[in-house]
Amino acid sequence: MSEKPFFVGYLPAPGPLRVFLLAACMLVIAGLGTAGYLMGAAQDDPGPGAFRFDYGRQTVTGVVEMTPYPVIHVTEGNDRIKPGDSFMMTAGGKSGVDSRAMPLNGQLAQVSGIVLERGDLYMMQLRGGRNGLRAAEGDAPAIPIEPQGRWQLTGEICDGKCLAGAMRPGRGLAHKACANLCLLGDVPPIFVSSQPVLGSEFLLVTGPDGTRLPRDAYDYVAQFITAEGEITKRGDLLVWEIDVDTIEVTE
Amino acid sequence: MDVAQALVMGMQTWGIIGAIVALIFLTIGIDRIDEDARGAYVFRPLLIPAVLLIWPIVLWRWWQIETERAAWAARYRPVRAYYGAAVCLMSLGIVVIVFSGLSIRQTWPGDVAPVQLSEGVTQ
Repeated sequence: MSEKPFFVGYLPAPGPLRVFLLAACMLVIAGLGTAGYLMGAAQDDPGPGAFRFDYGRQTVTGVVEMTPYPVIHVTEGNDRIKPGDSFMMTAGGKSGVDSRAMPLNGQLAQVSGIVLERGDLYMMQLRGGRNGLRAAEGDAPAIPIEPQGRWQLTGEICDGKCLAGAMRPGRGLAHKACANLCLLGDVPPIFVSSQPVLGSEFLLVTGPDGTRLPRDAYDYVAQFITAEGEITKRGDLLVWEIDVDTIEVTE
Repeated sequence: MDVAQALVMGMQTWGIIGAIVALIFLTIGIDRIDEDARGAYVFRPLLIPAVLLIWPIVLWRWWQIETERAAWAARYRPVRAYYGAAVCLMSLGIVVIVFSGLSIRQTWPGDVAPVQLSEGVTQ
């Protein structure tokens, strides 16, 4: 009969194996803990973006504009959202509100929903159906459109909803697949500039001449890129018409 | 073809070959190499997912057993002999992948300033 200790799960562990089991358990726990800490410490700060449920439901009135992504230029605000502000709109999940906003393009409308906020970027996730977006009485004022020239910017294309706070992280390579799904679902895309441009770090990014962001640009979502395009200030919002042919991935 | 397309095509090719192997092995091969499986059919569909993934090992074992290249017990030893090395290599691979990913990822170009190339029409 061999004297070699033999482990049986339902019996007390033999003496020599207890030390081994204890050491193995401690090593595994310490190793996994250390690996988790190191991997967590290596991640980028996800930023301050978040759903602002603490603000409560926000309801404002403004002019709907398809840029071609739906934007509202506020004419009657509230305590938090002031007249003159412009912000993007989205629906629940990974979907936009294009189908609801298109019939109201250029008209006055009332919007209602929850704000997502990240620094000076904010967006509204509208309630469902007409509760979230409906026509309002009154004449729509003209929205000032100010061309700002052609710019070369460096930064990252993100989906606006996750970036504004729906996801943490809402940007970066770890978020690329989610960002592309959101963009395919008509969530407005945002360009995060390496440094503020015309006072803003975040720009709505579209294709040239008022078209949607070209599909070719989706390959570069979540990567750090340099590209050129025309910037137009629409109300309070900067819109960058990216020229996809000029996109270059930075080092 | 970019990297993503190549990866998808590679996975599709692997899966298609696996499906063909599963079809042939589970209808013909398993009866030839395992007498206990003869006449038993209900369990065979359960093996399809595994065969799709590890069809090279299925083919290799089928060939080993079919050709009687080794004694019954010895047929499995070559695979077992590599288990230790495979575990070590896979563990090392995880570490290499993590550190490679961290080392080749882009750094945020925070020092690159926006450049205005032309002025707006109404400026």
